Amino acid sequence: MSTLQAEHVYKVFGNRPDDAVRALEGGGDRSELRADGATAAVIDVSFDVEPGQIFVVMGLSGSGKSTLLRMLNGLLEPTAGRILFGGQDLTALSARELRRVRSTKISMVFQHFALFPHRNVLENAGYGLEVQGVPRADRDRRAAEALALCGLEGWEMAWPDELSGGMQQRVGLARALATDAELLLMDESFSALDPLIRRDMQDQLLELQRTLKKTIVFITHDLNEAMRLGDGIAVMRDGRVVQQGTAEDILTRPADDYVASFVQDVDRSRVLTADAVMTTTRPHRPGADSCGCPTVTADTPLAELCAVSARVPHPVTVTGTDGAVVGSVPQDRLVAFIGDEQRAPVRCSEVAA
Amino acid sequence: MPRLPLGAWVDSGVDFLQSRLSWLFDAISALVTGLYDGLVAVLSAPAPLLFAGILAIAAWWLRGLLAGLLAFAGFALVDSVGLWPDAMSTLSLVLVATLVTLVFAIPLGIWAARSDRVSAVLRPLLDFMQTMPAMVYLIPGIIFFGVGVVPGIIATIVFSLPPGVRMTELGIRQVDAELVEAAEAFGTTPRDTLVRVQLPLALPTLMAGVNQVIMLGLSMVVIAGMVGGGGLGGAVYRAIGNVDIGLGFEAGLSIVILAMYLDRMTGALGRQVSPLGRRTLARARSAATGAARVWNHRPQPAYAATGAVVLALVAGGLSTFGGSGGEDGPEGADNIGKGRTVSIGYIPWDEGIASTYLWKELLERRGFKVDTRQLEAGALYTGLAGGGLDFQTDAWLPVTHAQYWEKYGDKLEDLGSWYGPTSIELAVPSYMKDVRSLADLKGKSGQFKGRIIGIEPSAGAMALLKDKVMKEYGLEGEYQVVDGSTPGMLAELKRAYDKKEPVVTVLWSPHWAYSSYELTKLEDPKAVWGKGDGIHTLAREGFAADEPEVAAWLRSFKLTEEQLTGLEAKIQQTGKGKEQQAVRAWLQDHPDVAALS
Repeated sequence: MSTLQAEHVYKVFGNRPDDAVRALEGGGDRSELRADGATAAVIDVSFDVEPGQIFVVMGLSGSGKSTLLRMLNGLLEPTAGRILFGGQDLTALSARELRRVRSTKISMVFQHFALFPHRNVLENAGYGLEVQGVPRADRDRRAAEALALCGLEGWEMAWPDELSGGMQQRVGLARALATDAELLLMDESFSALDPLIRRDMQDQLLELQRTLKKTIVFITHDLNEAMRLGDGIAVMRDGRVVQQGTAEDILTRPADDYVASFVQDVDRSRVLTADAVMTTTRPHRPGADSCGCPTVTADTPLAELCAVSARVPHPVTVTGTDGAVVGSVPQDRLVAFIGDEQRAPVRCSEVAA
Repeated sequence: MPRLPLGAWVDSGVDFLQSRLSWLFDAISALVTGLYDGLVAVLSAPAPLLFAGILAIAAWWLRGLLAGLLAFAGFALVDSVGLWPDAMSTLSLVLVATLVTLVFAIPLGIWAARSDRVSAVLRPLLDFMQTMPAMVYLIPGIIFFGVGVVPGIIATIVFSLPPGVRMTELGIRQVDAELVEAAEAFGTTPRDTLVRVQLPLALPTLMAGVNQVIMLGLSMVVIAGMVGGGGLGGAVYRAIGNVDIGLGFEAGLSIVILAMYLDRMTGALGRQVSPLGRRTLARARSAATGAARVWNHRPQPAYAATGAVVLALVAGGLSTFGGSGGEDGPEGADNIGKGRTVSIGYIPWDEGIASTYLWKELLERRGFKVDTRQLEAGALYTGLAGGGLDFQTDAWLPVTHAQYWEKYGDKLEDLGSWYGPTSIELAVPSYMKDVRSLADLKGKSGQFKGRIIGIEPSAGAMALLKDKVMKEYGLEGEYQVVDGSTPGMLAELKRAYDKKEPVVTVLWSPHWAYSSYELTKLEDPKAVWGKGDGIHTLAREGFAADEPEVAAWLRSFKLTEEQLTGLEAKIQQTGKGKEQQAVRAWLQDHPDVAALS
């Protein structure tokens, strides 16, 4: 399995892009460049994605996230910087070599599905294999397997326009999986789906990921989706990555006001887990594991933890995967955390002051 | 503003191309003629109704039973008005032009779709080709390619190329960018992206382009008919020249039938070849009920193919076994021509048709093969000067055709006048009793609405009228000479004559209008119109040396007014398409002309 690395990647559209990159490196501003007719879409982005990880790039439209994604498989050539996949520098490859990498190692799932309307579901799913030159019988078998994996068994002979949006995107996913590519690029792949279907697809992606262990770069403008899916998240704004970290990092320690304002709308009780709120410094209550009260694990969401805490008369015990106690969550701490209040409780007269 | 000698540059450019690239033009001409002749041979081989049946089966297969029946009825109608051979040559012309157009248009369209720069360069060129009036490049076309079907086809290609290119470009550019990106994201090469994604999805637009190319081609057949393209266009052109409304309608309707057939068939083919279209069709068919089901019934391709093949075999059998033997020339001493070909060009004026068919008959009796081509006057002179024709019998010299003689006289041989003198005049209907002479027109402009109905502004008669006649008789300011065309003038004359309205037109004699209507030639006491023309026979340079006997016959040829009008009347009575029969009947009564003595 290979690591995906981006090293100081820039993409500038328009006039004299190289000059623009030099200006940006010297601390120039994006708006100054625009006056010269150059648009900086991606500025100095670096990140590593470990094999088997889902890396989410989050940002509003115009933040440069789609441009960034298209540089990862060479559809766009970076103006400066390098993209390394398994140690191979994609920016140094010829057009032919790049096509070979795209057809075998990297596949892509699109926002509006991008299914070929003149091919049936099976032919769509087998497209990548057809490009590779895999013989028909083999291709059809592998395409059908990919479709079955995505829950589309029996729909092989249907046409794309006969399917619902969710099913169409499953075909898109099957097409990407059929080539056995290690890296999956997903460009707002669930944004065009309605909320219930979107949740379904997210669950299915996580389910598949448990067995397939692909390296996935997922683009979204939806922070909830980013938090649900991402092992690591990069928040982009105006072409730059403003914060990179886990969902918890971003929620609990937003890097700036921009990220903080984003995070406001996120339902913390569903994204954060016991892990984020538990204390390991207070001494454990003796005999905590013997009173028979329910306990939680480190990855229990706060919403569930609240339900347990409401019934248990003492701090809720948090156990590790092996059942050993790793910490506990007192109720006052839990309430303070959800309310985003860092000050300790005080006397009534002092609260008003 | 200094006068830019643009026209002179074009003139010398044309001369340069003609002298340097004639080998290329000859090659193109040979190729196009070969394609056209081959196609005509194939299309004309089967009996008309059998071939109509094959076309009908194609319509049945592509669109349904109703379309098949209508197609058969349409083509049967074309056959019944006697225009089948013309329709087949027009069909061949359009198909050859379409084929060549597509060979250029589709690659150009693809190229333009992939490069904004190419697209930007092509756009004004295509505008130029589409809007430059065809007549403007027809004459250079004749200079390069000679008279006949080739300049017509070339003009058609020039005219119909732009929509072919544009629709191809549009179709490819219209394909959803995300689909193209998806193809690239899976490592598809640009060529495969074109073949696997862009072209299949652009196909409906592409077929609409093919359809446009064919339709524009059909709209050009009349123009092609003016430079010797023949076919239905030639029939329409002849009808216009003679104000033969009936023939014009029959030929026009035949063009419409051809156009509708080709339009519906290419439309249906467009849906058949695109996978998306096929699915839409299948769905519509399964939804249809009752009568619609019957009318829209379509045979299985296998049955349709079998039907077409059976009819084709029957057709092949008929033409192999039932075909008439070739016509051999006369035996013995009369066979002077020994099968050599002589080509005669003519303007579809009555005396031109009459004398041309007379000579066709006379020469065929003497063992020549005679090829007649109907042409517009400019095209006729250009073709004759270029050697593409051997002679023509309808040159009005020295006045009416003066400008052609000036341009091409040094490349032509005048074989003398066979009729004359002709005259040019203004004419009014005889019911205008108080107008007898040009002088009588003065002070009556109110009656004539101040208009003298003229003909083509380029005609010698018009120049004489405007520069001299109007001045001499003091008509300037009182009357306005209306520029137009000969058919327009004749139509106006007919309209006014039928309603007994006052009208004054430019006319000349001999002209059939004098036998059809009662008209008064206005007297010219001051003799401003000058002496009349003689109708001359002109041959290409060197013809007299190549065919001394024919040249000698032509030099001694003379007809009297009584003979010429008699022959014209005979042709009119016998009906169109039977000119040669009329000539034969007339020759029976005029053995001296038949004997060329």
